[in-house]
Amino acid sequence: MDNTIWVALITGLTAGGLSCMAVQGGLVTGSLARQLETEMQAAATDSALRIKKQKTPARHQLAKPILIFMAAKLAAYTLLGALLGLAGSVFSLTPMMRGALQIAIGIFMLGNALRIFNIHPIFRYFSFEPPQRITRFIRRTSKKSDSTVTPLLLGTLTVLIPCGIAQSMMAVAISSGSMLTGALIMFAFTLGTSPVFFILTYLATRLGALTEKYFMRIVAAALLVLGFLAFDSGLSLVGSPFSLTQSVQALLQPAALAPVSQAADPFTTGDTLGAELPAASGALSNVLTLQVRDEGYLPRRLLAPAGKPITLKLVSSDTHSCARAFVIPTLNLSAILPETGQQTLSLPPQQSGSDLHFACSMGMYTGLIHFQ
Amino acid sequence: MIKVVYRIADMTCSSCPMHLEAIEDDLPGIRRIKASYQKGTLEVDFDEALLSEDQIKAAVAQAGYTIA
Repeated sequence: MDNTIWVALITGLTAGGLSCMAVQGGLVTGSLARQLETEMQAAATDSALRIKKQKTPARHQLAKPILIFMAAKLAAYTLLGALLGLAGSVFSLTPMMRGALQIAIGIFMLGNALRIFNIHPIFRYFSFEPPQRITRFIRRTSKKSDSTVTPLLLGTLTVLIPCGIAQSMMAVAISSGSMLTGALIMFAFTLGTSPVFFILTYLATRLGALTEKYFMRIVAAALLVLGFLAFDSGLSLVGSPFSLTQSVQALLQPAALAPVSQAADPFTTGDTLGAELPAASGALSNVLTLQVRDEGYLPRRLLAPAGKPITLKLVSSDTHSCARAFVIPTLNLSAILPETGQQTLSLPPQQSGSDLHFACSMGMYTGLIHFQ
Repeated sequence: MIKVVYRIADMTCSSCPMHLEAIEDDLPGIRRIKASYQKGTLEVDFDEALLSEDQIKAAVAQAGYTIA
C-alpha cells in the first residue's frame, strides 16, 4: 500500500480521532443523550455510567446509532476524497506545484498546532468556520430523535464540518492527484479516527468538552510533528537545498561530494542489473546510474560533468516504496519506475557548480546530482 | 430591538460557534445570533420585550462558555 495511505491511517488513529471527536462528537453524543433520556425515562439519575448499569439493553441502543453515524461518515469522506483526488488530477499538478501544496499543508498544520496551543488569537484564522446556515441545519438535525435516519444524516453531514486535521488530509487528497488514492486517503484517515471516536462516544455522552480540554494538546503536538514533516518534504519537492531531510543526510554522509566509486557503495553491484555502474573515481561519465531502493536512492549524491547532456539510469530491484515515483522538480521531470527494471531519463546540460535535486513524489527520499 | 456583543473567553475550536449559537433554540426573542471563533465574539440581536440580557448571559453560561 502507498505510504501516504498509511500516514493517513496513522494520522487518523492518533491525532484525527481526538480532533474529530472534539468537533463532531458533540453532535452524535448530544443526539444520543436526548434519545437515551426519552427511552430510559430515568429522570432520577443524570450520570451516564449509572444509566448503563441500570439497564443492559442501553448498550446495544447506544452502539447502533454511533455505528450508523460512523459508517455514514466513512462513506461520505471516501466520496469526498475521490472528488478531491479527481480535482487534483484535473489540474494535473507538477512536482513543483505538489511541493508548494505540501508546504502549504505543512504551514496549515503548524498553524493549527499553534492555534490549539493558544499561542496567539491570530492562529485562529488557520481554522475555517463553516457558514452559519450549514451549522444551524446540522445542529437542528441532531435534535431530532429518529434512531436510524438522524445518525445517518449527521454522519454524512460531517463532511461539511471537517476538523482541522481532516482539512489537512483533504489537502493531501488533492495533492495525490488521483481519484482512487484520494478516496483511499480519506477512507484510511476516517477509518483511523473510528476506534477513538467510537470509544469516546460510547463511554460518555459528554466527553466532547473534556476531550477538548485534556487531549487537544496531544493533538497539537502530533500536528506539530506532522506539519513539520509535510513542510520539510514540500521543501525537498520544490528542490530546495535547505530541507531537514537533506541536512540530516548531509550530516550522515560527510564525504558527500566525493566521486562515487563502486567499492564505496554496496548497492551498485546489483547482480541482475548489467554493467551499468556509476562513474569510477576520477573520470566523470555523462551516464549516471541511480539505484532505487525501498529506503531511498543510492548513491544520494552523484557527480556529473557540466555542460553535457546526461543520461540518468534509474535501476529498481524489487522496490515497492514511493521511491518509485521519481521527480526532478526544477526540470519538471517525473517518472513512475517499474518495481524491478530500468528506466532512462535524459537530462539537459547543466552549469558547472550547480546542483540538481531529485526526490520521490512525496519528498521523503531525496538526493542530488552535482555538476562540475 | 437591542444588539449586544459579548467577548467570549473560552472558545477553543471552530465548532464552538455552533454550540454557542444553539442558545437561540431555547430562547424566544433572539432575532439574529452570530458567534465567531476567530474574533472570539458573540453578537445577539434580540427583542427586549421577550428576552432580557441576563437570560442570554445565563444561557451562554449554561452552554459552557464564559463572557469576558
